[in-house]
Amino acid sequence: MPKRVAIVGVGLTRCSSWRRDVSYPELVYEAVSAALQDAEIGPEAVDAVVFGSMDPFDGVNAPERWCVDACASAGALNKPLLKISTGGTTGGSAALGGYYHVASGMFDVVLVVCSQRVGETLDAQRVLNTAVDPVYERGFGVGAITVGAIQAASHMHRYGTTEEDLARVAVQNHDNSANNPYAHLRFKFTVEDALASRVLSWPLHLSDCCPSSDGACAVIFASEEKAPKLAKQPAWVRAAGQITDNYFMGDRPWAEDWDSLAILARRIYRLAKIDNPRREIDVAELYQAFSIQQILEYEALGFCEKGEGAKLVREGVTAMGGELPVCPSGGVLCTNPIGASGLIRVAEAALQVMGKADLRQVPNVKTALAHAWGATIGFHTLMVLDREAP
Amino acid sequence: MTTEQEEPLIVEGRWDIPYRHTAGKAASRFLRELKENKRIVGIRCPKCRRVLVPPRSFCERCFVATDEWVPLPDRGTLDTFTIIYEQFLGMPPPPYCVGMIKLEGADTSLMHYVSGVDMSDLEKGKQNIRVGMKLQAEWKDEREGRISDILYFKPV
Amino acid sequence: MIRRVAVVGVGQTYHEGAKNTQSYYDVVFEAATRALEDAALEKGDIDTVIASGWDVADGRTLSDMYLVPAGAGYLKDSAKAAEDGVLAFAYACMRVLSGAFDTVMVVAHGHTEHPAELVSNVVFDPFFFRPMGASTVTTLALQACAYAHKCGVTSEQAAGVVVKNRRNALDNPYAHLRSAVSVQDVVRSPPVAWPLRALDCPPRSVGAVALILTTEERVRRIRPDGVAWVRGIGWAVDSYELGAADLSRLSSLAAAAERAYSMAGVKKPLEELDVAEVHDITSYHELMAYEALGWAKPGGGARLLEEGLASRGGKLPINPSGGVLSTNLHAGSGLLRVAEAVLQVTGRAGDHQVDGARTALAHGTSAAAGPAAVGNCVVVLGRD
Repeated sequence: MPKRVAIVGVGLTRCSSWRRDVSYPELVYEAVSAALQDAEIGPEAVDAVVFGSMDPFDGVNAPERWCVDACASAGALNKPLLKISTGGTTGGSAALGGYYHVASGMFDVVLVVCSQRVGETLDAQRVLNTAVDPVYERGFGVGAITVGAIQAASHMHRYGTTEEDLARVAVQNHDNSANNPYAHLRFKFTVEDALASRVLSWPLHLSDCCPSSDGACAVIFASEEKAPKLAKQPAWVRAAGQITDNYFMGDRPWAEDWDSLAILARRIYRLAKIDNPRREIDVAELYQAFSIQQILEYEALGFCEKGEGAKLVREGVTAMGGELPVCPSGGVLCTNPIGASGLIRVAEAALQVMGKADLRQVPNVKTALAHAWGATIGFHTLMVLDREAP
Repeated sequence: MTTEQEEPLIVEGRWDIPYRHTAGKAASRFLRELKENKRIVGIRCPKCRRVLVPPRSFCERCFVATDEWVPLPDRGTLDTFTIIYEQFLGMPPPPYCVGMIKLEGADTSLMHYVSGVDMSDLEKGKQNIRVGMKLQAEWKDEREGRISDILYFKPV
Repeated sequence: MIRRVAVVGVGQTYHEGAKNTQSYYDVVFEAATRALEDAALEKGDIDTVIASGWDVADGRTLSDMYLVPAGAGYLKDSAKAAEDGVLAFAYACMRVLSGAFDTVMVVAHGHTEHPAELVSNVVFDPFFFRPMGASTVTTLALQACAYAHKCGVTSEQAAGVVVKNRRNALDNPYAHLRSAVSVQDVVRSPPVAWPLRALDCPPRSVGAVALILTTEERVRRIRPDGVAWVRGIGWAVDSYELGAADLSRLSSLAAAAERAYSMAGVKKPLEELDVAEVHDITSYHELMAYEALGWAKPGGGARLLEEGLASRGGKLPINPSGGVLSTNLHAGSGLLRVAEAVLQVTGRAGDHQVDGARTALAHGTSAAAGPAAVGNCVVVLGRD
């Protein structure tokens, strides 16, 4: 039985297409200071640091080096620091890293920091293209949007999901981000507006795609001894994990069924003793870089049957006020500082459990789910947070 | 069909990715002072009182914001250095000397080139560049707001 | 330590200068396969995989997509520490200690596909350090200069480290460079970034290393004898601001050592350690490491070497494998130190075995940009 661990503090930064007011360390300092303030601790109280970012989006290789001291003076104080980098799941993997630092019994208070400055990259797709194997596939100009488009086209073909369904997901997230002062895109629109927006990679419209954002996030994990002293209502980690699919996109049915996510979800629900996720989860922060992915995620996470994901949106099940609100923050669709996005999902889920989500708070949250995906659709992370310790 | 005897292939790759870097509060002021006022400024931490150069928005030891700017003379002492004799791919052509220079009044040292001496071979280099030597900045006439507005530091 | 962690399998490839026949992740597959064979385990026995390395160095964003499956991680819970493998080892220990996993595979690799100095230059900030051509070797050279100046260490004394380590590699069939060199060879080798000459610096090697860790309960079933127990582990990072540091000392290494010694209950390291594998990222840095590890006073590193303490037959043989100066896996060199320390305490180091070694220290450095925000990790391993 691992030691019990809780989140006791969260720090977010305002995200935008280009935070030109701050240098990289200054951006990280903003998130870390906010988290330390939230937990009401000083930098010396941090026992260890986990840093996550997806190199090389920022034009700086290994930015945790330049930013080391923004992480609660980690370098000046010779603290233990570990850098984690797993693409889009970096934020989720870093949160897992923080969790294991504390669960090991070696550390009591661990700061997890993630950041990304996609705004400093002039051509994000070109960077994403570098994830693709240079021997076989890089020459084809494949990037994230093309992959998302293939997912949408397949799901539409197999299950009859429509462009309107995708637009509804976009509208729902944008309605939500209006309540989130840290979100990047904060404007509402209608389904008609969405369908009229230009097509980037059929069937994805501009409205179906995440922005490129600058932003940082910090989350503080604490041991069961320290947590109650640091937060009125800690967000306890009930279960958490990751799954690694292989690199080759052609090997699997990810376009229709996100099977690796389904496998991870089964493992996590078993650990958390969740039998009916739709009923037992009160809010979910999912990682949807493209609107179609939210629909695929509903199915893989067992919120509905395969192929029925669009129905949940049509019926308002996942809207604020619905049975299982998804992304009160506006999700990745409204804010995507890639290496930080997975941690922002954890942070937002924690805020919901801690009752500190302000205007985007869902009432009476006991259990929240945070998700991230990355790589060539092959990596997923999940974390279940709860008001009660497991 | 066998691939045993075939020569394995090497596939070249190159990343050519443009960026636009945000200097932020502290570096922007420093670089502007180089360009407009032909001077070097440091920043003082309100808690430990160190004068930090290059300046930074927060003190890494105290983890507090900094905002007290301190103009510094463009003279200092060489704390440590190295002379590069090897041509690395994508790096400047040798020989060149990089050192850490403690400006008068600063508590931290600044990385910059040391030049204006003969370092064409190692023996001459070792003779002409020594830890503790006094240096003076050599400035560009047309400055752009970059660290290279100082061309190098030369012996006084 | 509440729960005990054991290293139950070691695998490494025969390290070489170039390996055009295999992609870098195929080399990882080879090392991981050997580790499984060593532990008499199968892929299905591995619960989780921690990979390591830097994407930009691999020329592949998300390099773990390739590394994890090569480490027996397909459909498993994995992560990548974007560090030297020694920090992936630290993470692996935490995963075992948490009780969530029983058996962990850690993998690290080195290759020559990237221009090392340029890649490290891009780690530095674009405003102050990068324009000066700051890179791993230039900043390590600044440290060597500061150390040499402060402590009066000569290039001949530093060369002594190279002579020792290169001679040791003759007895290590896995090492890359296996030819002895003399002090004269070193001090006459072409200068790279003074005071570092070519032979003061490590080579670039291609290879991989994999370790398998498990719990006390599983060890009894897998390998009742011949495992190495992790008695203590500590790691720490240094500041990025090179201008604010005392470049003549390795402060994060001293902090890491203190944590590891404390956990392991080591009070007199020179007496209690039988063998050590330290990260000789340059010849000077090995001498600096002796001091940071508490084996010599500041400036006393050279004397420790000259008095023969660090030689194969000495009181504390250091780098009997040949060290990083003989085999440099870039982001795998630190993990290779741990592997070698494991081989020593389990009596499996072959021709470079230190007789009767029961307690070993492994020191690995995770240096994306030389000493700027460098990470150091110390592991104390024991036979019991």
